[in-house]
Amino acid sequence: MLNHAITKLQAWFPAAEVYAHCDGPCGVYDPSSARIAAEAVVSMTKKLVDLEMPAAGDKAAAVAYHNTFARYTAIKEEQAQIAKDELLVLWTDYFKPVHLEQFPDLHDTFWKAAKLCSATKVEVSVQHANELMEAVQKIHNMFWATKNRDVSWYTAS
Amino acid sequence: MPVDTSLETAPSPPSQLRSSHPTDVVLWLLRRRRRFRIVGESMQPLLVPGTEVLIDPFAYRHSRPSPGELVVAYHPHQPGLRLIKWVVYVEAQGCFLKGLNAAASTDSREFGLVPWERVVGQVVCRFP
Repeated sequence: MLNHAITKLQAWFPAAEVYAHCDGPCGVYDPSSARIAAEAVVSMTKKLVDLEMPAAGDKAAAVAYHNTFARYTAIKEEQAQIAKDELLVLWTDYFKPVHLEQFPDLHDTFWKAAKLCSATKVEVSVQHANELMEAVQKIHNMFWATKNRDVSWYTAS
Repeated sequence: MPVDTSLETAPSPPSQLRSSHPTDVVLWLLRRRRRFRIVGESMQPLLVPGTEVLIDPFAYRHSRPSPGELVVAYHPHQPGLRLIKWVVYVEAQGCFLKGLNAAASTDSREFGLVPWERVVGQVVCRFP
């Protein structure tokens, strides 16, 4: 009787959720997802810098220019945020105190890498985009060293 | 010389959780218990997703969690994410939490000790 009433009540008033949490896929981390996003940031930054201005008075060219410029910027913004998210997951979820003993500059490396993600959003800076790639490469090396695996660095582009 | 063996004894994970008694329902109605619904697989096989539990938010006002207890706590790095785990051991800074389904659980093995102020309460029973 009481249980029946409780069951009714549960249907009417859903309880707050509590997570038997698992960052799926559990325990599977790989800095390559950050690398791919950072590469996209480098690529979009270079394309923005190289984009030719349209001729004065050519409306169609101006529309195409602004459209392309906007798309490159939007992708750069989005991919820099993805790179930042991926790096923060590695930093806070994968790396553990024992790794800090192995790499005393671990926090500084991630902090600077996250800052570079922000910088590449704010600016159109090839230098900062390349520095972001270097930071991701450093994290790649740290990550695989903690697993005692020799995974060579490569880029898609 | 007495030897403290508490650290050497591996705590057992909780293997059962009782159903609620009428007293628990009364305590819940008096707001001395809180209701939560489990989402996720990390507490299988004891707690399957969709199970509701009652927790005592006042359990750790004057004492610390003990190894083997089930607790609800906020994730140390993700604000607002409430977790349900079991206490493996306690230290001065906080407690080490783990899922029962260790192969499918994100817990203190990854995010470290959970500080005391992030522990919400002790899981006391299923509901109902």
